[in-house]
Amino acid sequence: MKFIIKSISKNSGRLGQLRIKDSKELQTPLLLQTTKGGSIPYLSADVFGMVTQEQQVLQLTLCTMDQMAESLAQWNRSLGAYVGYPEYNTLLLLRDPCEATPTGGNDRDVVPLFTRRGKESLTAERYLQLVSSFAPDVYQGLCDADTNPESTKKRVQKSVDRTERFMEHCYKQHRELDRLKDSTLLAPIVGGYNTYARTQSIKHAREQPKGSYGGYIFEGFHTNGLPATRLSPSQLLPIVEHCVQQIEEELPRLMPGPLTPVLMLELIRLGIDIFDTSYAYCAAVNYKALTFSYTIDKEEHSAFLDVTDEAIREEFKPMLEGCKCLACQKHTRAYVHHLYKTNELLGPILLMIHNLHHYMGFFDVIRQSIAMDQLSLLLDYVRRQNMPNDVNYCIEPNTKVVGKAAMGKGFITAAN
Amino acid sequence: MSSSKLPPLTYKVVAECSVSKARAGLMTLRHSEVRTPVFMPVGTQGTMKGILPDQLIELDCQILLGNTYHLGLRPGIETLQKAGGLHKFMSWPRAILTDSGGFQMVSLLQLAEIDEHGVNFRSPFDNSECMLTPEHSMQIQNAIGADIMMQLDDVVKTTTTGPRVEEAMERTIRWVDRCIKAHTRDDEQSLFPIVQGGLEIPLRERCVSALMERQVRGFAVGGLSGGESKHDFWRMVHVCTDHLPRDKPRYLMGVGFAADLVVCVALGIDMFDCVFPTRTARFGCALVDSGQMNLKQQKYKHDMEPIDKQCNCNTCKRYTRSYLHHIATNESVSCSLLSVHNVAYQLRLMRSMREAVQADAFPQFVKNFMARHFGSEPIPSWIREALAAVNIELPPDAQEEQAVNS
Repeated sequence: MKFIIKSISKNSGRLGQLRIKDSKELQTPLLLQTTKGGSIPYLSADVFGMVTQEQQVLQLTLCTMDQMAESLAQWNRSLGAYVGYPEYNTLLLLRDPCEATPTGGNDRDVVPLFTRRGKESLTAERYLQLVSSFAPDVYQGLCDADTNPESTKKRVQKSVDRTERFMEHCYKQHRELDRLKDSTLLAPIVGGYNTYARTQSIKHAREQPKGSYGGYIFEGFHTNGLPATRLSPSQLLPIVEHCVQQIEEELPRLMPGPLTPVLMLELIRLGIDIFDTSYAYCAAVNYKALTFSYTIDKEEHSAFLDVTDEAIREEFKPMLEGCKCLACQKHTRAYVHHLYKTNELLGPILLMIHNLHHYMGFFDVIRQSIAMDQLSLLLDYVRRQNMPNDVNYCIEPNTKVVGKAAMGKGFITAAN
Repeated sequence: MSSSKLPPLTYKVVAECSVSKARAGLMTLRHSEVRTPVFMPVGTQGTMKGILPDQLIELDCQILLGNTYHLGLRPGIETLQKAGGLHKFMSWPRAILTDSGGFQMVSLLQLAEIDEHGVNFRSPFDNSECMLTPEHSMQIQNAIGADIMMQLDDVVKTTTTGPRVEEAMERTIRWVDRCIKAHTRDDEQSLFPIVQGGLEIPLRERCVSALMERQVRGFAVGGLSGGESKHDFWRMVHVCTDHLPRDKPRYLMGVGFAADLVVCVALGIDMFDCVFPTRTARFGCALVDSGQMNLKQQKYKHDMEPIDKQCNCNTCKRYTRSYLHHIATNESVSCSLLSVHNVAYQLRLMRSMREAVQADAFPQFVKNFMARHFGSEPIPSWIREALAAVNIELPPDAQEEQAVNS
């Protein structure tokens, strides 16, 4: 993996170029495509091709794909080709950023892997063995990331100590395993919200011989899923800033999870380079279409369109007016609302198409803003959306149950 | 000439098999040309489960089926009217056919009772008594705006015997007149009557001849594919196609297994529908010439081939059986991937039958298909009999041959 920084500015973060293996050059800040079981949630490769024709990197997760390890060990093409995307590069994570990771199960020698079939306790040896059957282009080092703003000092310290031990194994085996000789390892930085612990975690990585790893992954700030959309910037940002100051500039930095658009912009300003689409997914499964604006204008905008809202049942206009995605070009709010009420699979498909399109467009604009050193302007605009107060980007779970009471009464009207 | 002057349905036989009753036709509807024989995928609630309209067009699907009962409940006729009909509501530019709603009520709702007025049922909302009459069915189907709509028929279980069968048949004829009278968009939508008559040849004959006296543009054959024996099934189809007019399309309701499709095309049916291809996809099954491939089976775990090497659907182009084995029934995208393949399979099967008829090579196609479909299994006797009735003699089974030789 090759990373070249194109520009760095004080207020706008950095622009870079990333080349994974022999791929085309990817521009950072980069948005990875989050997946479940290897697929972009709800979308076949065929449909995803209608969303974008641009080069993508898939963010695969071991906890949703572990059952494929045995098959993958027999597969002689790329990991991307196995999941239907031979043209894309792959990055393997342990946990699924889309779902809240259960707490507990970490121990001195094991990290829990929460899969569909239950919990598996992974030793570093077992983890590297699994990764080696996957042979991803990029993968993360094993770490104890079960920390959040509430974690005690003692728990945070444990996560750092355990991660050091896991990583000793990872660095060693990464050099030895033949199937991983073309893969890049990302060093995990853990340590919760504690600057001392973070420093220690970084120090351990930086003591390794040069070339032991090709980038950083920031872990231990949240435990994924919807709670990650509610992180407090004032708690998070000083710690990230502290970390960024201590790591070398020339390596890319990844922070996975469904962070809000505003928080992502803040993190980009601090120098984080890589994120994923889990925020777009979390909105879609909770029946929210992303409608926040990133093209500066004078109108007021809201963060979401709630597709479950009865008020849109006869609105024959797109989820987001002016949007060029397939879902908005062809389908109406009324139709998507109908698909929600009838619990039809096409509902989340259309929402994913729109939300991914919208979020990828957001990242295009972010890169343009950095190039013009105007990221702060974009940040202020996204934060307020021309509203009197800051817009709430947290995603609340959709608890509405589609019951018979929510059904239309047209048929009965006809029969009476 | 303005398009509204054209009849909403024209049908023309383009080729006929010189041996069997199979035919290839071209049906021209307001929204699409439909090349027959045709399989119509079922999009019950205004969507094909997990497939975008653009994907269906890429598969060259020309006509979809929608369910009146479900669409009448949600989104309801008011919303459909405001949307400008189902085509616009679901953004499907091609043809649609709707059923009458009657079959669903009888099969889905408890306490549905039928009398001369219509189908009585308890509302699924508040348990109050409601009624679907032929007039209401027309009102809803007119709001949906499908290219082809079905009359409300008196549905009895296919296994029912005795006077109830005759009563249902007679009532179906009376109801078609009420439907014709209540139909308000005859210049845009074509109403098909439904041949009833249970499993009795004389009743089927009487029903066909009575329906043929009405001004209609096509016919449906109903009351089959509901658990009757296959020996009865094919004979009923056979008698109907013997008597139905040559110049109008014939639709056999609810039939969609590959072998049944091949037999019924040989018997002279033009249109089919069935939920099976998409339903079985949700359970992790892919359709192939030899029947169904249940991808959940362990033997596919490390199988790095596509479902079918010959298939050019987007699923077979990109995905292995092994990957599909792992995601089938676990990730919802598997439902989309297998549905695309299964619909592609059905449409390809119909297309090859049509091409075979046009090349006057249909009997050979049937023989080859049955050999692939049943492999070393014996071909069921009803299939042999049905095909023999239209002059297609299948070669004896391998085991039978051995028995004869020994």
